[in-house]
Amino acid sequence: MLEIRDIRKRFGEVEALAGCSFTVERGRMLGFLGPNGAGKTTTMRAVFGLLEPDSGDVLWDRQAIGLAERLRFGYMPEERGLYPRMRVGEQIEYFGRLHGLDRHAASAAASRWLERLGLAERSRAKLEELSHGNQQRAQLAAALVHEPELLVLDEPFAGLDPVAARTLVEVLRGETARGAAVLFSSHQLELVEDICEEVAIIDSGRIVATGDLDALRSASERRRIELRLDGAPQDWVPDVAGVAVADREDGGLLLVARRDVAPEDVLRAAEQTATVVEFSYGPPSLSELFLELVER
Amino acid sequence: MSGWPAIRLVAQRELRERLRSRVLLATTLVMLALVGGSVALQGALSKTPTYRIAVAAPAPPGLGAALQRAAHPFDEAKVRLRVVASPAAGRRALEAGRIDGLLLLAADRLVFRSDVDPKLAALAETAVSTLRGRLPPEPELTTATLHPPEKQRTEAAMVVAYLGSLALLMSLAFYGEWVVTGVVEEKNNRVVELVLSAVRARDLLTGKVIGIGLLGLGQLAVVAGLAAALIVAGAFDVPASLGGNLALVIPWFALGFALYAVAYAGAGALASRQQNAETAGQPVTYTLLAAYFAGYLALSANASGAIAQVLTVFPLTAPLVLPARSALAGVPLWQHALALGLVIAAICLLIRLAGRVYAHGLLHTGPRLGLRAAWRLVRQG
Repeated sequence: MLEIRDIRKRFGEVEALAGCSFTVERGRMLGFLGPNGAGKTTTMRAVFGLLEPDSGDVLWDRQAIGLAERLRFGYMPEERGLYPRMRVGEQIEYFGRLHGLDRHAASAAASRWLERLGLAERSRAKLEELSHGNQQRAQLAAALVHEPELLVLDEPFAGLDPVAARTLVEVLRGETARGAAVLFSSHQLELVEDICEEVAIIDSGRIVATGDLDALRSASERRRIELRLDGAPQDWVPDVAGVAVADREDGGLLLVARRDVAPEDVLRAAEQTATVVEFSYGPPSLSELFLELVER
Repeated sequence: MSGWPAIRLVAQRELRERLRSRVLLATTLVMLALVGGSVALQGALSKTPTYRIAVAAPAPPGLGAALQRAAHPFDEAKVRLRVVASPAAGRRALEAGRIDGLLLLAADRLVFRSDVDPKLAALAETAVSTLRGRLPPEPELTTATLHPPEKQRTEAAMVVAYLGSLALLMSLAFYGEWVVTGVVEEKNNRVVELVLSAVRARDLLTGKVIGIGLLGLGQLAVVAGLAAALIVAGAFDVPASLGGNLALVIPWFALGFALYAVAYAGAGALASRQQNAETAGQPVTYTLLAAYFAGYLALSANASGAIAQVLTVFPLTAPLVLPARSALAGVPLWQHALALGLVIAAICLLIRLAGRVYAHGLLHTGPRLGLRAAWRLVRQG
């Protein structure tokens, strides 16, 4: 289990991390969300000892993380980079060996991953000869080659086409099923909502929400109500305290209500004005929750 | 991975990747061609030597023909005989370099300027014996020189000393540049973030320096080894003992490289992302050049002087000065030992300092870090 406990980091005047805490269990996948500059990359680098937090702990299985632990981690940094003139197969093997695999095991694992990611035929090509998409795949292989117990990926979906994104989702699900703890950052909130059961949301160096995604949504102070009315005036607003219109389009209406508002009251108010064609009530989506939490 | 396994992996990668580059093969071939070419050139120049011999009047009849016959087995050498009025006139001609040897038959002497030319001595001996109708091995002539034979050796030693340290300077700068280029590339294409997540910065630095250093050592060993072997075998017209002095550049390349390459790596790590490798390595290259010229000037002024002795053991200059001074004037054993100890201590110290700068510098993506910032990193650890 990866445990990040109240880490803080200052770069001169800038407070990059101001109390960041969350955990990722083995066999779970956590989406790490936050606006640009919120501290996601800084947190990930702290996991790999690439920077030293001013205070706080980064723990793996309740132990401080040293080089020996890091060898069992896989990392895909935000800024991608491999050796441009090195052959792809040898390169993946090299990273496997740097993580402690022997020559034979590293070579076999490299071939397996290149096969799985559709790069087997390019294994003898130099990295710089590969297309951008294939370079991304090679980068993923370099993070996975040694069967890491913890996988940390910084914006792995950035710049991927839908096919590549689906492959990546399958790979991440496979790694989670194998028992690895997976932590990745992303701005693609719909995708995160689809594949992650847990999220951590960071804003200005502070974790503003973390835990089970459904629980976080339910715990929100807001509820979303979608309404479609037939014959209602253009500017109709339900006369219920704690309800506001968030969006209005083609007879469809998106309302934001306080959690304590009874949906029946809204439905009754609507029925008094027009025919209700559609009515739905529920907790906010991840995007709405995200905007609610990081609003300044 | 840490310690030697990591260092070995990094060094192996450097070796393998760079052995594939054609630059290494091309430079090795060029250097070998230069050594081989100078042997061929010397051979071409000394193909049919002409020995200029003077004999003090009166010259016995048939001497010229006898000398010519005697010279024939020596690479078909030719002999030009002239008759001088007196031994004194002959000495003047010898002093002025108009003749190679002066035959004084009255005294049974063969006089040279400063060095005895064994071929000329042998052929003169044969010719005179034949002429007098006597049989060897009774020697007819005694050889003598006008001056002690020091000058010749000094010239050859100077060539070895200066060419040797020039070759060292060029190799150190060349392979140092490889280190900077490698480090700046790793930093610029960000692969270093992935590498440093699994390997300690100090191990990455050491592995890189060892890998590239082994290449340089191999290349220099092939080239300097060939030159030294040719000297010992007598292909060059220099004393064989200088071959040993030339061979001394090989271990001193290893030490000098370890010292300067670590500094080059630190300089590369401090470079900004926009900066190219050449400018990043400049401070180290300037230090290297300063060390070379300081050594050159000190050795030219007085190879046994106090300054030359200090530069022989000072770590920054020792790799360049020690082999040269050993060829020129000889270096006492204790100075060899002191220089070795000091250089190794300096390397260990520099690896510790550069290791700290390296880790921080590599992950620093802003503008170039100045020396002050680097010092702060060193102190922070």
